Amino acid sequence: MSYAISTLWHERARFFPGVLAVAFSALLIALQCGLLLGLFSITSIPIDESDADIWVAHPEVPSVDLGRPIPEAWASYLAMPEVVRVEPYMEGFGYWDKPTGGMELCLVIGSRLGPGAMGPVRQLTAEHRALLAQPGAIVVDEAEMGRLGISKVGDYTEIVGKQVRVVGTVRGLRSLAGPYVFCSLETARSILRPPPDQTTFLLVRCRSKEDIPTVVERLKKYDRKLMAMAAEDFSVRSRWHWLTKTKAGIALGLAAILGLMVGAVVTYQTLRSATVASLKEYAVLRALGIPRRHVIGLVVGQSFWVGLAGIAISIPLIHSLAIVGNIGAKVLLPWWLWTAAISITMTVAMLSGLLALRTLRHVEPVTLLR
Amino acid sequence: MYYDGSRTEPTLRAWGLCKSFGTGEMRTEALRDVGIELYPGQFSLLMGPSGSGKSTLLAVLSGLLHPDSGRVLAHDQDLWAMTERQREEFRLRHCGFIFQGYNLFPALTARQQLEMVLRWGKGYSASEARRRADQMLSTLGLAKKGDLRPMQLSGGEKQRVAIGRALIKDPTFLFADEPTAALDWKHGEQVVELLRAAAHDAGATILVVAHDARMVPYADRVFHLDDGVLAEGVERPMAMFADSRDVAAFGAI
Repeated sequence: MSYAISTLWHERARFFPGVLAVAFSALLIALQCGLLLGLFSITSIPIDESDADIWVAHPEVPSVDLGRPIPEAWASYLAMPEVVRVEPYMEGFGYWDKPTGGMELCLVIGSRLGPGAMGPVRQLTAEHRALLAQPGAIVVDEAEMGRLGISKVGDYTEIVGKQVRVVGTVRGLRSLAGPYVFCSLETARSILRPPPDQTTFLLVRCRSKEDIPTVVERLKKYDRKLMAMAAEDFSVRSRWHWLTKTKAGIALGLAAILGLMVGAVVTYQTLRSATVASLKEYAVLRALGIPRRHVIGLVVGQSFWVGLAGIAISIPLIHSLAIVGNIGAKVLLPWWLWTAAISITMTVAMLSGLLALRTLRHVEPVTLLR
Repeated sequence: MYYDGSRTEPTLRAWGLCKSFGTGEMRTEALRDVGIELYPGQFSLLMGPSGSGKSTLLAVLSGLLHPDSGRVLAHDQDLWAMTERQREEFRLRHCGFIFQGYNLFPALTARQQLEMVLRWGKGYSASEARRRADQMLSTLGLAKKGDLRPMQLSGGEKQRVAIGRALIKDPTFLFADEPTAALDWKHGEQVVELLRAAAHDAGATILVVAHDARMVPYADRVFHLDDGVLAEGVERPMAMFADSRDVAAFGAI
């Protein structure tokens, strides 16, 4: 067992605040960013929960919910061997007339519903799809019903003056802005009234996943006014747009940085006080001619183990708090976020150790001779 | 084996040592033109009243404190002409230190305190360092205390661990500053015996700063420092003060 670990274990009361500070930092970074990712993953639900490989859109579309009309004739660009299916996808905001009074802005999403259709979100069952084939039929998230002023399936209301009927509800598809209203392509067209022969997106399915980059590249060459993105990339683009546009990302990011700073200060103080407490022992080693690098290694080793212990404590905490968080919100913890949270806190712990090394300048063996 | 210092060359020679602290009216002269010669196998005592400059002389002779003037030749190498790094290497190779406080790492066991010096100072493997540390602990009468931490050791035991730490790399010089100050005489005597054995059995050059006169009978040579001026006292006071036990111990002389 290394001397650093021995010291850490036998003086655990001294090192505990530092370990806790590291755990707190890791926890704060992971959960803040996880919440943020969860929050903004809502904005890409139409992409993530549907089945298209490529989304073709107007080049100025920053996010899936901010689509702009494009000619449906662009589908002709997609006549290539790698493409097996193309379908239009209508989407746009409209005012929902609440039966209880007042208006609510909602996002109408209309897609093909037949077998093999790419547009419908996975939560729409075969039964939903069959019902949605009726003109004016819509499905909403059951958690949004209060907001939309409806009480049950079967209720009627109007969107932009067009009568609609709620034929079913889904779960887990609440939106960040206006509630999602899922319907058929025809119903969406009748509500949104786009210019003739226009659609909002063209959804593309490729022969195989490997063909996606080829098709995207080829489409870009065909027409510069066209934007073609792999579904995953468009999802990231949509989240990123809302993350930066709303500044919420900055606020949460700052909170995470603040947490990191608190963690760094406490860790530094802990390591510093531990180093100061052993200055005389270090001085003896210096008097005996033990090279300085070993003492430096001991202090840096301590900061490493403090960092590792803090991270070890934080992992189950992050997991449990994420589970709790998922009850009322959505916490996403992709592997890269774990890696980032762990590396950042570890780096901060190590830097705190390096800062604490400054106290070693005071190690002068001659001070031991009184 | 007993080293008879008078028949060998001195391992440490110093002359013209001056050292002062402060400036103007606050200036105090800790060493005034001090010269000394120390021989291998001799246990030398440096005595004097508080503030007489004993610790300063020890620091200058051991390469820890730069004198204002004068030279220190240890193994014929000029300590104060060396670079800091060379001095460190010299101390690593040749010097052991025992200070007033035990200065042991509170979290490490007695064995680890010794192992650390061998592993970090001499680059010994963990197993070799452990073997030597255990050997040293048993020489010090601490064979069963290797796994104990300073908190679990008595003052005398702690000081013996500190001595072990100083002796484990077989230094040719051992400098000790009031090594018995915090101990009662029973334990203090054990410490003195250990130091004397290190000189007589291993041939180390040992200089001990002390003000406890009870150590005098055990010393080969006694120096007095008063107001920065060094004078040598009685050589081999053993002959005058030794009790029958000591005489028996030195029957081979």
